[in-house]
This record gives sequence, C-alpha cells and structure tokens, in this order.
Amino acid sequence: MSVQDTDIPAARPVDWRDPRILARIRRRHARDGWLKAAGLVALLIAFALLAILVGSLVYRGHSAFTQTMVTLQVHVDPKKVKPERLRRGKYDDMVEAALLSHFPEVRSRADRRKLTKILSKGARLALRDRVTADPALIGQTVTISVPVSDPFDQLNKGLIGRSTPEERRIVDDRAIAWFDRLAEKGLISRPFNTALFLEADSRFPELAGLAGAIRGSAYALLVCFLISFPVGIAAAIYLEEFAPRNRFVDIVEVNINNLAAVPSVVFGLLALAVFLGWFGLPRSAPLVGGMTLALMTLPTIIIATRAAVKAVPPSIREAALGIGASETQVVFSHVLPLAMPGILTGTIIGLAQALGETAPLLLIGMNAFITEPPGGVLDPATALPTQIYIWADSPERGFVSRTAAAICVLLLFLVTMNALAVILRRRFERRW
Amino acid sequence: MTMLQPDEAETETEAPTAELKMTARDVDVFYGTNHAIKSISVDIPDKTVTAFIGPSGCGKTTFLRCLNRMNDTIRNCRVTGEIRLDGEDIYGRDIDPVQLRARVGMVFQKPNPFPKSIYDNVAYGPRIHGLAGTRAELDEIVERALTRAALWQEVRDRLDAPGTGLSGGQQQRLCIARAIATAPEVLLMDEPCSALDLIATAQIEELIDELRESYSVVIVTHSMQQAARVSQKTAFFHLGVLVEYGETSRMFTNPSDQRTQDYITGRFG
Amino acid sequence: MGPHIVSAFDKELMAIHAKIAEMGGLAEELLSQALEAVEKRDPGLAEQVIQRDKRLDRLEMEVDELTVKVMALRQPMAQDLRFLVAALKISSTLERIGDLAKNIARRGIYLSQARRVNLSASIVRMGQRTLEQLTEVLDAYSSRDTALAVAVWRRDVEIDELYNSLFREVLTYMMEDPRMIGLGSQLLFIAKNLERIGDHTTHIAELVYYVVEGEPLGDDRPKGEPLALDGLTD
Repeated sequence: MSVQDTDIPAARPVDWRDPRILARIRRRHARDGWLKAAGLVALLIAFALLAILVGSLVYRGHSAFTQTMVTLQVHVDPKKVKPERLRRGKYDDMVEAALLSHFPEVRSRADRRKLTKILSKGARLALRDRVTADPALIGQTVTISVPVSDPFDQLNKGLIGRSTPEERRIVDDRAIAWFDRLAEKGLISRPFNTALFLEADSRFPELAGLAGAIRGSAYALLVCFLISFPVGIAAAIYLEEFAPRNRFVDIVEVNINNLAAVPSVVFGLLALAVFLGWFGLPRSAPLVGGMTLALMTLPTIIIATRAAVKAVPPSIREAALGIGASETQVVFSHVLPLAMPGILTGTIIGLAQALGETAPLLLIGMNAFITEPPGGVLDPATALPTQIYIWADSPERGFVSRTAAAICVLLLFLVTMNALAVILRRRFERRW
Repeated sequence: MTMLQPDEAETETEAPTAELKMTARDVDVFYGTNHAIKSISVDIPDKTVTAFIGPSGCGKTTFLRCLNRMNDTIRNCRVTGEIRLDGEDIYGRDIDPVQLRARVGMVFQKPNPFPKSIYDNVAYGPRIHGLAGTRAELDEIVERALTRAALWQEVRDRLDAPGTGLSGGQQQRLCIARAIATAPEVLLMDEPCSALDLIATAQIEELIDELRESYSVVIVTHSMQQAARVSQKTAFFHLGVLVEYGETSRMFTNPSDQRTQDYITGRFG
Repeated sequence: MGPHIVSAFDKELMAIHAKIAEMGGLAEELLSQALEAVEKRDPGLAEQVIQRDKRLDRLEMEVDELTVKVMALRQPMAQDLRFLVAALKISSTLERIGDLAKNIARRGIYLSQARRVNLSASIVRMGQRTLEQLTEVLDAYSSRDTALAVAVWRRDVEIDELYNSLFREVLTYMMEDPRMIGLGSQLLFIAKNLERIGDHTTHIAELVYYVVEGEPLGDDRPKGEPLALDGLTD
C-alpha cells in the first residue's frame, strides 16, 4: 500500500530455454496426450460394448420380425360350419384338408398327422376370423395364408440346419421334403410379422405377440405418470420454496435422496404387502404396477424438479416479489414455467427407468400368462420387461428370437422417450 | 449514534424542505446472530433522490431491502425498529408486504426482466394488483410506464418481443418501467447501473433525475461519482452504521466525519 | 490522514505539493532579493530578480497542468478536491506575487540611479513585514496550520497601516519638494506593490483555511482605513 514499497529486489530473470524447463514442458504435454488417449479408448470401449449388445440383439431378433406363412386354397365346407355357430366350426379339419390335398400320396393316419404338424395351431384361427367376418364365404373356396408351426418357421429361416444329423433335428428328412414340395409350388412366403405387435402372448411362439405387454406397459406408465408427476412437483416445490429449515425437513430431504437408491425389488415387496395385501387390489393389474413404479419414479422426479427449481435465477424471483407478487404467483407464473424443461426431462427419464423396471412387476404378478390384451387398468396384464422375462424362460426355440425382438422393441421405446426428453428441453429452452 | 437532521445544511439553495416520505428509527437487522444493521435512523424526503453509499458489506443494500420488506423473504432475517411510509408503520399488522411492494417499487442490480414479452413484463404488476379494468386501460398503463422510463420510442413496434432480447441498458429501463407501472410512491434502486456501460448509465441517471419529479427515489450505489451526480441527499454507511447523512453537495466537498472523508477520497486500506 | 489506496494518486498530490512549495520558496526569495536590491541600490541583483521570475511563471504552468490531469484522471473528492482547487489558486497567486516582486526590482533599478533618500528605509521596513507575512502563510500551508493562517490573515491590517503612513509621508515630501515627485511616485508604486502582496498573502491564508476546514474563512477581515487625500491637501 505504501509508496516506499519499491525496495524489493527484482525477481531473478527466468531462462525459458533451460533444457530442464523444456523437458518439463514436454512431459506436461505428453501427460495431456495420455489423458486424451485414455478418454478416447474408454469411449471406444463403451461404444463397442453398446454396438455388440445392440448388434447381437438385432442379429438374434431380426428373424422374429418376419413369419413363415403357407398359402392354401381352403374349401369352407357347409357341413363343418353352421352360420348360426360360426365360432364353433371345425376349421382345423378344413385347413388340414387343404394342406393334405397337395400330398395325395400320404395316406396313413400317422403320416397325415405328421404332415399336418407343418401348420400352426393358429391356422384355424385365421380361417375362423375370415369366415366370422364374412359368413357368405361358407360353401366357397378361399385363398388364405396361415402361419406354419415353429419348427418349420425355424427351418425356413435357416435356424435349423439341414446338414445337422437327422436324429438331432426336430424335423426329420421326410417332413423337410414335404415342406420343400410346398416351397417349390410357391406356397411358402415370409411377410412382416404383424402378429408380433397385434397379438397377445401365446404358448406357441409363432402366434405369440407383444400387444398385451405394450398395452400393459402403457397403462402402467400412464398410472405412474398421473401419480408421480403432480405429487413429485408438489413435494419438490414445497421443499424448495416453502419448507422451513429445520431438522424434520432435513430428514425428509435425506430420505428422498436415499429412496432413489433403494433397490426396486424392495418397492415390489412393499407393493405386494400394501397394495395387494391391505388394499386388496387385483394381482397383475397395470394399476398396481403403475402405483409401484410411481413409488420408484417419485424420488427421481422430486430430485429433478428441485434441481430445476433451484436453477431458476433468484433474480427472477426477486423481480416478481419486488413488484408485489405473492409466493403462489411467483411459483406458478415464473418459477414453474422456467423450471419446466428440467422437470419434464427428469420426468421422462424417470418414466423411461420405470418402463424398463422388471423386479417389482414380477412381485405383483405381472408375469402371468395372459393371452388377451388388457382392456383397462384393472385387467390382468404383462409389461414389456416382464414379457421378455417370460419368453426368455420358455423352452421353445421360437421364443429365443422373439425375446431378442421384444428387447429391441423395448429399447426402441426407451430411445424414443429419451429423444422426446431432449426435444422438449430444446424446444422450451429456446422459448426463453 | 447521532442523527443528522437535514436542516443542518439549510444554506443549500435547492429542495426547499421537502416533505418526508419515509422515516426509519433505530432499525436493527440481524441475519441469525449476525448484527448486520445497527440502530439506523434516517429520513427519506419526498420527490428527492437519496443515495446510500459505503464500502461493500456495509449494510446499505440490506437497509434498502428493509424499506419494502424484501428481507421478509430471507430466512433467519430479523428486523427491529420502526420504518414508516407516510406515517404508517410498514412492519405493522395492517400492512401487507405484497401491497407495500407495489407502493415501494424496486429495481435490482442486474437487469432482471421476466422471460416474457416486453408488454407482459410491464403489464405484470398492474395485472396481479388488478389496476386495470380493461385491455385498453392496461395498454395505456403500459405505454405510460414505458414512456416515463424513456423506452417507449425504442420498443413501441416490438412490444411482443421478449424483454430478455433488449440491450442491458434497455433491460434496466424495462425493469424501471415495470416498477413504475404499479404507480409506486417510492422507488428503490439497488446499484441499478453496476452492470451497464457508460452511455446506458448516463441514460438511467437522466431518467432518475426525471423520476424525481414524481417519486421519492432511494439509490444504493458503489460509484461515488454517480451518487454525486444523481442525488440530493447522501447517506454514508460503514460496518452497519449510518456514519453521516446530509446534502450531497456538502458530503462530497466537506464531509464532517473522518470515515466519510477517508471513504470518498479513496483512503480505506 | 492515511494514504490513498491508489498510491499513484498520493505521488501526484505530493508532486503538486512539492511544486507549490518550490513556488512559495521562490516567491519569498524574489521578494527578499528585490527588497535587498532597493535597499542596497544594486541594479545587478534587481536584474537577477527579473530573470528568475520566469522560472516562477513556468512552475505555475506546470502546477496547472498537473492539477488538471489529476482532476481528470482521479476524480478527486472532498479534501483532495479542495486541495487541488486551492493548488490552482495558490499557484496563480504566487505567480502574481512574483510579478509584483519583479516590478519592485524594476523600480529598484530606477531608484539606484536616483539620489538617495532616507525614505527607502521605511519602504524596506514595510517590505520586511510583508516578507514575514508571506513566509508565515507558506509555513501555515505546509503544516496545514489554520491558526497560523488566521493569524497572518488578521495581521495584514498592519501592512495596510504601514502603507497608509508611508503614503502620507511620501506625499508630504513631494508637496514640499516638487523635484521629488518622480522619485516619490516610484516609491509609492513600490509601497502599493507591497500592499498588494500583503493582500495576496491573506488570500493564500484563506485558501489554507478552506483546504483544511472545508469552509470559506469569511469576509470580515480587518482592513486598513481607505486613505482620504482631502485631509492632506489643505
């Protein structure tokens, strides 16, 4: 401060060309290079792992997106189906007859039964639906494509090798010959597997679809959103804006943060005890699933909302208070709109987590075998991850590719939701 | 702590004994156990610019924020003493801070327009206080406030544009327009030019000088030159105490307290 | 009074103070040399005074420049502002004192060629009083001693009275002996110059008071009676 402070000796001049200094600089630059390289390698490893995961799923699952069909000319025999009892007709007889007509040389009962194994159990359902929709078809001949059974579907997709010794194959040489005859006649086709998305679960892989699981997941997520979004925001706003600073509130805060780290299976047990045990809500219902998922999503939404609310600049709050806005007006006309992008992002990420959650849903019975898509939140249903769990557990070969396909569908939903989060954030941030 | 009455410098030619708008008596402010403001008594005359100066952390902003009860929003903040607006105790039971803040407007250090349109920024106050019955009335209030804030000419064609898109000086004038849209009696300004450049500062200072005709203005500033330029009364705060209060022209040529002297001549070490 | 946070400001103020001090010293010296030249009838010394006054003029300009620069760059307040304003005024006052001393020296050259009169002694006595006043006011300035400044300010009346009596004396001589008129009027001018220097000294005293106290000294200074000529002529 003082004026006389000029007697300090000047610093010794530094020789920046000194070899020791130069070597030091080189070492520092080398370290920078190493750090960058390590980061890049880590990134590449992560990327490669992701690529392997997605690649193997697509490789294993892609065949499930198509289905082998056989096209048959079926005579709808008036003796076997009565117009007044359309759903009770002997459709399997008619479809089998249409198939057998291509193989007049096969006569023995055993052989004929073996031949008809080419057809899926669902073949008759396809015919039934056609006739039910249009009873005028009775007495006429219709051309219809019906799914083949799982072993022949696998054979057609090359998943069962013809070079494998016959005794280790599920289809023997004769059956292959029959199937090839059909193929030669141009009756075998492989269109996109719409059943995968339109049908519910089935014991037969060629008939099993994800419709029930997708709808069950959608209901569960809807319930989860309707509960966790308003409750989460309300709790976060109270904690951020109104809560007094005391021990009780501190404990609440710590517990919310801990709640986010509780293993999901614990929530499942809780739901089993409370929702099913005490409240007596139905098992396997998306309502219960959604409530359970809401318990898990709540902490995520509360934490995200609090962070977003905290990030609203205090100057905006002061500006509003300064012209006489009440606390409610400050929250609803300034803080919440500004925090909304962050809140929505957090919510969607929380919901995406909930979408992929399996363990709690298993505990409340959403892994039941249900062949009908749920009609409401109280109907029994499965969810996407539990459906994957069920299929992965099934012995039939056809479920292997379907499991992979279902995982692909689930991942697709997750990616879509995350993309939505990004888009929402961008859109809202640009507005301000 | 002695109070220096304004009549001590009655030889001054300007501002012939303006009426008192606000009076503070023995105001203490505590943040928890920290005694931030110590027994401050000050009179704020009407239609006059009063400047609060002092080193950082001297309590001038804290005291300013007592005048419209902005300190209520700070946890652990306790205000004792008596502050009156037109003779009415603003910490009294029958005064609602929400209404008080419409009567005692505030402009902040950093321009802080809402991320809304220019129109909505100015209309916000009148809307929440229900000052306009019809859209036409609201339009008129907005235009008047923007005109008084010397911003109307610049923004009349883009009232729907976001307020955050204006330049720093324009934003601050928008904030002033927003504050005066609720027809306040007192305007508090907390270092309103600290984030602005020279030209914008000069425009705001010119504006403050014009606002003096209608409002009682209290301005906290770090710049002594600014205090000297815009104010008629100056109060010097130091370590939570009001050291000296008097006519600005006297404070800057011949302050009576050594601490004031040291501060305004740049001698604090 | 502590140092400024910006030490360069202090250095500049000190530089101005040093220049004023130099001007004061020089003005004192010029006055005393001029008086000596008158007393000893030394035209060489008088010539020296005339030459050295140029240095005083230059110093005044330097003080002006420095002061304006400091005002523009530092925006001084309160005491500093008063110091700088006073510096401007004191420097110009000292410069004028220098001019008056120069004028006395010029007249000294004339007197050295004229015949010796014993009136010169009275002039020199008045000059010594004025010089003392100047020295004291400069001391008051350096030591910020307002009491001393006020004392100088009050004592100026003595110089006024000395001037009045000298005036009467010279006038009487001139009435008695018309050959004395040329010489007498030179003496009167010297006396008048000294009286003016005395006034400038009180002005400096007022400025010292203003710098330290922040208020003007006021205008009720005791002054000598205005001189009535009619009392002498009859």
